[in-house]
Amino acid sequence: MNKRTFGLVAPVVLWLSLFLIIPMAAVVVVSFMQRDNLGNIIWNFNFDNYARFFDPLYLGIYWDTIWVSLISTVLCLLLSYPLAYYITTVSARAQKLWLIAITIPFWINFLIRTYAWVILLRTQGIVNSLLLDIGLIREPLQLLYTDGAVILGMVYTFIPYMVLPIYVALEQMDKRLLEAASDLGASRWKSFWHITLPQTKTGIMTGSVLVFVTTTGMYVISDILGGAKSQMLSNIIQNQFLGARDWPFGSALSVIFIISSMIIIGLFNRAMRSKYDASREAKA
Amino acid sequence: MNKKWIALLLTGILALTVLAGCTGGSSQPTLNLYGWADNFDPKMIEKFEKENNVKVNYTYFANNEELLAKIKAGGANYDLIQPSDYMVATMVQQGLLEELNKDNIPNFKHLADKFKNPEYDPDNKHSVTYMSGVTGIAYNKKYIKEVPDSWEDLWNPAYKGKVLLLDDNREVIGMALKKAGKSNSSRDDAEINAAVNDLRKLVPNVLAFDTDSIKQKMIQEEAWIGTLWSGDAAFAAAENPDIAYVVPKEGSTIFSDNFAIPKGAKNKELAEKFINFMMDPQNSATNYEAIGYSNPIAAAKPHHSKEYNENPMINLTDEEMNRTEWLADVGDKIQLYDRLWTELKSGQ
Repeated sequence: MNKRTFGLVAPVVLWLSLFLIIPMAAVVVVSFMQRDNLGNIIWNFNFDNYARFFDPLYLGIYWDTIWVSLISTVLCLLLSYPLAYYITTVSARAQKLWLIAITIPFWINFLIRTYAWVILLRTQGIVNSLLLDIGLIREPLQLLYTDGAVILGMVYTFIPYMVLPIYVALEQMDKRLLEAASDLGASRWKSFWHITLPQTKTGIMTGSVLVFVTTTGMYVISDILGGAKSQMLSNIIQNQFLGARDWPFGSALSVIFIISSMIIIGLFNRAMRSKYDASREAKA
Repeated sequence: MNKKWIALLLTGILALTVLAGCTGGSSQPTLNLYGWADNFDPKMIEKFEKENNVKVNYTYFANNEELLAKIKAGGANYDLIQPSDYMVATMVQQGLLEELNKDNIPNFKHLADKFKNPEYDPDNKHSVTYMSGVTGIAYNKKYIKEVPDSWEDLWNPAYKGKVLLLDDNREVIGMALKKAGKSNSSRDDAEINAAVNDLRKLVPNVLAFDTDSIKQKMIQEEAWIGTLWSGDAAFAAAENPDIAYVVPKEGSTIFSDNFAIPKGAKNKELAEKFINFMMDPQNSATNYEAIGYSNPIAAAKPHHSKEYNENPMINLTDEEMNRTEWLADVGDKIQLYDRLWTELKSGQ
């Protein structure tokens, strides 16, 4: 490495080591320690915290977390793909407006947006009042503090993360392929299935990984919209640090969480790549 | 529409997310107050800021354990904190609190005698009581026709999905222990397990676990009945007159929130000035009228309104007070409490 490249890379290396590598290393080290009753860390190397994760209690919560995130990701995808597709079909000016509309919610604090759902969904909230007024229901529905409310909050929050990458993929697609397909007599559905979908796989993949990994790490939504009844893994981690005075176990859970996220991303990458290759081979 | 534009858009989103945590600086001295939510009349904080030409930065914690974790991770960022009774003892034991200089707090003399020299902090060396209350049952008279008198009433199957519980393992397990006639700080495995098994039967009735915004859920009539702190109940009843309050016959938990200064605080004198300001009889009367808790300043009584002095949620009777018990530290049993609490909340 010559001097100039070093000069260019040094700030990034410093940044990464200060804010990523050192804190991560601290978490890993603490995860192998013990703690006393007052929550002080005892420097005694052991694997107990990792063994504790395999208790059915924590495995069950881990499974629930994966499940909620999976449902949220699939719903996000189902809602976002048609929207992204639609946006690519309108005029350039309208596209810009659509993209701005999708990003505007990010200008408002995430917590405020989540509490706004409380106002909408509670028993005396806007949705229930409306349904009561038009006579569709007689008793207010319990919309809030349910698993459905948690998933709704997740999907709402993360839709932009799904729409934007899919939009970019659709936008970059070679439209001539579709013309060629239609010239050769392929139906619109067939050309979507064999051309558009494989061509936008990177967008789908990026969006899904972004949404899935972020939802597994989300704990605010399950607290506010779920009434702290359904617990996600991140709620447990938060509780170990802020409630149970058990930083070593919280650290161990964090390490497991990071590793499992990395495995999921890796698997997804590989699955997408091999599928993509297979479809290309089939065509060839 | 080009790619550059999209890239810019995405970068903008990320930048906004990062910058959300930043706040601007200021040359005024700042008192960093870390307390319970809605624990002060905002007007009184403004008055203090104006009188002393300072800024008060008031942030919240949801429970004592969170406070402890934050203070241990770097308490010097805060000048004034509000630990509850047993947490004062824990913090003193760990050397996390400064000794108070009473010369800076002349209004200490106005504090009612029963709050002076408490068990958890003899001679008030490290703390001064700010407020005190008990945990009881708040209910909405519109939906609950029979006046509840026992914790057992929360288990009534007619209240399915309408019960609120505090999001605090010591409070809730302590409540179930009291219901069974045990101490709220039991260290006996069998007693604790039995209490949690009882709570499992309560879970289908539970609308939500909440501490910070439990009052709003009562006021908005999302819930019919729940475990509330007496001051929160008084606050809720002021907003929604259908809300009433009882201290169940089995007895309940009494608590006090205190002022204390963490070790190494940068503005210790300013913090003491704030304590003194809040203990002034006139100031404290205005403050407690707004927040709904009972005022521990004996000399403030004549400054309060008639409604306040006659409110049963604020002025609990001696008979009610005699049925209450302080939470005590449970040592290594806290692990059992935490585990059972996690099981309870995740429905396992």
